[in-house]
Amino acid sequence: MKIDQIKKEFPIFDEKIQNNDLVYLDSANSSQKPKVVVDRINEFYTKQFSNVGRSVHYLAVAATNLYENTRTSVQKYINAKDKNEIVFTKGATEALNLIANTLGQSYLQEGDEVLITELEHHSNYVPWHFLRKSKNIKINFAEINDEGEITLEEIEKKITPKTKLISITHLSNVTGAILPVKEITQLAHSKGIIVVVDGCQGAPHLKLDMQELDCDFYAISCHKMYGPTGLGVLYGKKKWLEELPPYQGGGGMINEVKKDRISYGELPNKYEAGTMATAQVIAFDQSIKFLESIGIENVMKHEANLVEYGQELLQKNNSVKLIGNPKNKGGVLSFTIEGVHPHDIATILDEDGVAIRAGHHCCQILHDKLNIPASARASVGIYNTKEDLDQLNESINNCKKIFNL
Amino acid sequence: MNLKELYQEIILEHGKNPRNLRKTEGFNKDAKGNNPLCGDNVHVYLKLNGQKIVEDASFEGSGCAISMASASIMTDLIKGKNEHEAKEIVEDFLGMIKENPELKSKYLSEDEKTKLMCLSGVKQYPMRVKCATLSWHTMVSAFEENTEEVKTEN
Ligand SMILES: Cc1ncc(COP(=O)(O)O)c(C=O)c1O
Repeated sequence: MKIDQIKKEFPIFDEKIQNNDLVYLDSANSSQKPKVVVDRINEFYTKQFSNVGRSVHYLAVAATNLYENTRTSVQKYINAKDKNEIVFTKGATEALNLIANTLGQSYLQEGDEVLITELEHHSNYVPWHFLRKSKNIKINFAEINDEGEITLEEIEKKITPKTKLISITHLSNVTGAILPVKEITQLAHSKGIIVVVDGCQGAPHLKLDMQELDCDFYAISCHKMYGPTGLGVLYGKKKWLEELPPYQGGGGMINEVKKDRISYGELPNKYEAGTMATAQVIAFDQSIKFLESIGIENVMKHEANLVEYGQELLQKNNSVKLIGNPKNKGGVLSFTIEGVHPHDIATILDEDGVAIRAGHHCCQILHDKLNIPASARASVGIYNTKEDLDQLNESINNCKKIFNL
Repeated sequence: MNLKELYQEIILEHGKNPRNLRKTEGFNKDAKGNNPLCGDNVHVYLKLNGQKIVEDASFEGSGCAISMASASIMTDLIKGKNEHEAKEIVEDFLGMIKENPELKSKYLSEDEKTKLMCLSGVKQYPMRVKCATLSWHTMVSAFEENTEEVKTEN
């Protein structure tokens, strides 16, 4: 696999960013877009645009078919059993809110317990907090170990007879820990507990097989998967999506509307109220094709090499402290430098064209646990090279110099 | 503008060893500020005497070099000023950080202006402007006895 070739497919790397070549190490936040995806959006709007699922004219039918093609592509990509288990949302955040809201309406009862982890992104905590407020459910937290991992044993320890649902990230956007989702699901199901997975970081970087993972729900963020913004995917087992009530009401999600009664549409329309992110959905098909053309095994191998290389570099760099050291680690390197605030690090690195993120990365619970207000995070994607990580290290050294370290 | 100009001696010096990083004993005005995006937080304390003159100013909190240096310089130069003067200085500072090329307030000495101008480099870094302004907004809030925490939006 030639990374140089792959990188050429991303037009942004032809740009000078403040006179620098771009060293983009912020893919956990959002990935860059290959030309095929950008072009597809343009092509759809210029040559094929129509709203989907409404009219019977030629363009509307063609657009609807394109839209549904992406659903089928996603189904195959994540090996879901049924096309109707794929619901488009505005993002992973909306997918998680949809799950919490509908389970809250019809499944979770006062006093029930939801088990999440200290690694969770706010979008996999706040929606459950809403239910804590409105339905008096209880939220428990599985705790990280010293390596920044969540183990199966820890999950087992935190399950109580009242645990009704476990909602966990597939891959931590801070420590990079990959959670044993399959094993956790097996354990949970043996106790009649539902499993929700925040797959934002898993989907772009890991092999996905819903039937093998067997989780009940899986949330995907398309903009982190070389796809457009404003789009997410909710995978849900058919029996759940059929059983649960709708989330939003409006056009497209109904069957029959009368003054005294309303019946709802079938899956997946039931969960796709209103005009959807049509162009994004249609372009996302290209993201999947792009990933398929590289092969997820190759993606995983490349990124694992990068992380190992980056980890070694940063471990050798004194005054840099890596956050977490999980055995099973995805492409995320979060760190602090003693004596330099992460925001100062990010500003100084930015001057060299090195784009990283600084802050709490929407994981305040985790940062509180680690007793730090913020951290710096470099995260990789398919277009990154070892040279990018060398540049990261060099810019970190420059930062240390400025701060007289 | 380059980084060296932003992270000058004086910013590093104040950022690493902030002045007045403590809680004023017998303070009579205080307010909290927080920059949720970055995790910077600051608690400003003021002690005004009978003539409404700032006898002492201090702060507690944590944050980046820019926010710490800004709070440090601010608490230093606000001592001895009255509320009216302090507020004019805040206006002047915020104006400078956003757009004005220089400081104009007659209540600032040349030396104080020079110190404050060290922070002017953040203009080039829009995301960092709120780091520099957090403690200033918080001080205004203390004067006005707002109990709500200040949240910076640029
Ligand atoms: C782990 C995790 N969960 C959820 C989200 C939110 O995803 P989205 O931007 O699609 O709403 C993110 C992205 O910021 C994330 O990293």
